[in-house]
Amino acid sequence: MAAAGGVSSDDVPILQAENLTSNVKSIYYSRTFLSIIGGVVAGIWGFTGLMGFVFYFLIMMVASIGLLAKSKFSVQTYFDSWNRILIEGVFGGLMSFVLFWSYPLMMI
Amino acid sequence: MGIGYVVGVIGGAILAHAAYATIQYRAVLKITEEEFTRPPMDVMMELLLGLALCMWAGLAVPAKFLSVVPHSDENRIVSLPANLDFMIFNHRGRALPSDPDLKLKT
Repeated sequence: MAAAGGVSSDDVPILQAENLTSNVKSIYYSRTFLSIIGGVVAGIWGFTGLMGFVFYFLIMMVASIGLLAKSKFSVQTYFDSWNRILIEGVFGGLMSFVLFWSYPLMMI
Repeated sequence: MGIGYVVGVIGGAILAHAAYATIQYRAVLKITEEEFTRPPMDVMMELLLGLALCMWAGLAVPAKFLSVVPHSDENRIVSLPANLDFMIFNHRGRALPSDPDLKLKT
């Protein structure tokens, strides 16, 4: 069945916008939480300097793999582009990571 | 609250315990005046375990992904109205030949 006013496949496809927004928010929460946890672990472990950033990008790669698994590897069903699931939230989480990384380094 | 929250809290508790153990280890190192490079092996195992649990919780707890495909079964844009206010039966469909075996997909 087609909704009235459906677009042809040449144009930008219409998507369920509120579901897309909800999915993007869900990714953002996941990445923020994992950045904070990764920061705390990096601080307790005693990483200083470049090693900490390497650890952060490692955590983000594992998070990307986890998000791909959560979307059952069919990204097109849940998002409009691959960038959402791979790039989105990485640099925002970097700030949280550095903040929570510095607390244990000071205190431990 | 779901299992994800419980796992997340347990992971957080394990991390807190690892942090406390590292503080004590550092205090011992200060007494013996050695350098602190990394926590002891069992604390590192604890950190990895806590990290794994929190990772799992961080991926499982936020909302499940919803489909964005417009024409899939769970995303029907047009659904039949369920209340009687919009149902009229006195229309020209009366004149059409009716097939009593037709079934409506709801």
